[in-house]
Amino acid sequence: MATLSINSVRKSFGAVEVLNNIDIEVEDGGFLVLLGPSGCGKSTLLAIIAGLENSSGGDILIGDKNVNDVHPKDRNIAMVFQSYALYPTMPVRRNIGFGLEMRKVAPKDREAAVQRAAELLQIEHLLDRKPGQLSGGQRQRVAMGRAIVRNPDLFLFDEPLSNLDAKLRVEMRTEIKRLHDRLGTTTVYVTHDQVEALTLGTKVAVMKGGVIQQLADPETIYDRPANMFVAGFIGSPTMNFLKGTLEQGDGGLVLRHAAGTLALAGLQQDVAGFVGREVTAGIRPEMLDSGDGPASLTGVVDVVEPTGPDTMVIASVGGQLITARLGPKDRPRPGEPLTLTVDTTAINLFDPVSGNRI
Amino acid sequence: MAATRSRSKLLWDVISYVVLVGLAFIAIAPIVWTFLTSLKFEEDIVTRTMQYIPSRITFENYVKLWNQSGYPVLVINSLIVTTTTVLLCLLTGTVAAYAFSRFQFKGRTQLMLGYLVVRMFPAVLMIIPLFIIMRQVGLLDSTIGLAIAYTSFLLPLFVWMLKGFFDAAPKELESAARIDGTTRLGAMFMVVIPIARNGLLATCVFVAIAAWNEFLFALMLTTSQGSRTWPVGLQLMVGEFQLPWGMLAAGGMISILPVIVLFAIVQRAMVAGLTAGAVKG
Repeated sequence: MATLSINSVRKSFGAVEVLNNIDIEVEDGGFLVLLGPSGCGKSTLLAIIAGLENSSGGDILIGDKNVNDVHPKDRNIAMVFQSYALYPTMPVRRNIGFGLEMRKVAPKDREAAVQRAAELLQIEHLLDRKPGQLSGGQRQRVAMGRAIVRNPDLFLFDEPLSNLDAKLRVEMRTEIKRLHDRLGTTTVYVTHDQVEALTLGTKVAVMKGGVIQQLADPETIYDRPANMFVAGFIGSPTMNFLKGTLEQGDGGLVLRHAAGTLALAGLQQDVAGFVGREVTAGIRPEMLDSGDGPASLTGVVDVVEPTGPDTMVIASVGGQLITARLGPKDRPRPGEPLTLTVDTTAINLFDPVSGNRI
Repeated sequence: MAATRSRSKLLWDVISYVVLVGLAFIAIAPIVWTFLTSLKFEEDIVTRTMQYIPSRITFENYVKLWNQSGYPVLVINSLIVTTTTVLLCLLTGTVAAYAFSRFQFKGRTQLMLGYLVVRMFPAVLMIIPLFIIMRQVGLLDSTIGLAIAYTSFLLPLFVWMLKGFFDAAPKELESAARIDGTTRLGAMFMVVIPIARNGLLATCVFVAIAAWNEFLFALMLTTSQGSRTWPVGLQLMVGEFQLPWGMLAAGGMISILPVIVLFAIVQRAMVAGLTAGAVKG
């Protein structure tokens, strides 16, 4: 077990800069999630941590040891790949034990370690099969077995759940969390799935274009996104952005938008400098409820999408589309007028020019 | 409408079968003819009227060839040359193909193109320089020299074919192996080569057959019975005043035996190897 420090790491392929001064610290036993759309550089960063790629600058420290010039095999790390990367010619037993075999662990100890890992992942019955005879979920477990059997300083996961179907993905996500709680190994996990990021991470780095947009714990990322990119990337359905002008009303600040005003009582931000200017209000769909209140929006129902536990209602408020997550019993009809009460304490105001949170 | 379509389909079927049977006949007939000739008595071979099926059978040609003409030495020489060629290709070509497949280094494209360009020159063009080089280094008229000459024009083929098989093996597997504790070369031997095994086998068989059957280089670069290969030996049996058809045919039949046996052994793996990567999954 160890800490991980990423200090000013850069990477460029020719003139293309894919990573720009990345600084991240992960505490011992922490779970860092690198989150971003494809091409944001998250997998490259993981490959640099693993030693599979060289950085163009900066340092990687595992524990307090600089590993810039250390071979992957000597970094004492384990990695789970998106394609699982199981050795197709070897049975599961040897796949899991391969790392130990390479490290010249005695066959008896190796066998015991493989058995322990297999029991932990409930794959004892598969040990003599070849990877080709396993289902996706089983392969995933074998890949994890190969990672945990060596007791590494660092676990690296490269989109490990992307190839699984939806149900299995949720199961394995829980499994990974349980495993991390149990083993307490420092972990770096790459994904483009924001749900995985929020459920697993103790720390989430949202990346775009080789730059970290925000590095924080999941609650902060969700409740106080640093900019509109993070706000829009996290959460499903995505955050609503309501454009308007910030004004000083009788009872406090209000947002004047195309279809009226919205009182901003209980706002968690210092926005004094923006009074009288254009702002964008970020409102999560679950911060809206049907019915009138001290702060409300009125509009016309456009589309109704029942999902079971919730009903998603998309309404047009002065020409801007707003999604609200309403209760299962709420079933307005398209074309009807709708009043939504807003929990203003959870509103985030953004500067529409820079996109940053005010 | 339907009737016309099925009739034109039938016509196509007939035409394709005629073409296929015709091609198969062209391919198989000479071998059958050689086989039949090898079983005939000398006086039944050159006759006034064509005798397709021999009326009496003899193995005399085979016995005579084996006991009197030094044919076993020729076959052994051919075996040595072929094995050495395959080993040389295997040792150098595998590593080269792996490097081409996995590394981006300066001059990579040029080097690979160079490998191809070598194949574009007619073999005759290379024989004279090769002859001079071999004479100077003292490898003329030796099985090793011949094997090196074969390697010089079979290696590019070997490397290009094998590179394709290596390309088909996912790179993540080596990443996994390197994290698991192997070096790059270790990952190649322990993970990539076992996956590309069928491809490697197919490529080796390809090279082996080419070396086994080669005639022109062998004719130029060997001068004595001690290093001659079977194609040259057979050709030299044709004298000014005699043409031992029966023995020539027997020699031909014996020499295709190893090829047939090789194919029979590795056929499954070879087909799997040649089609690997063609279908995903």
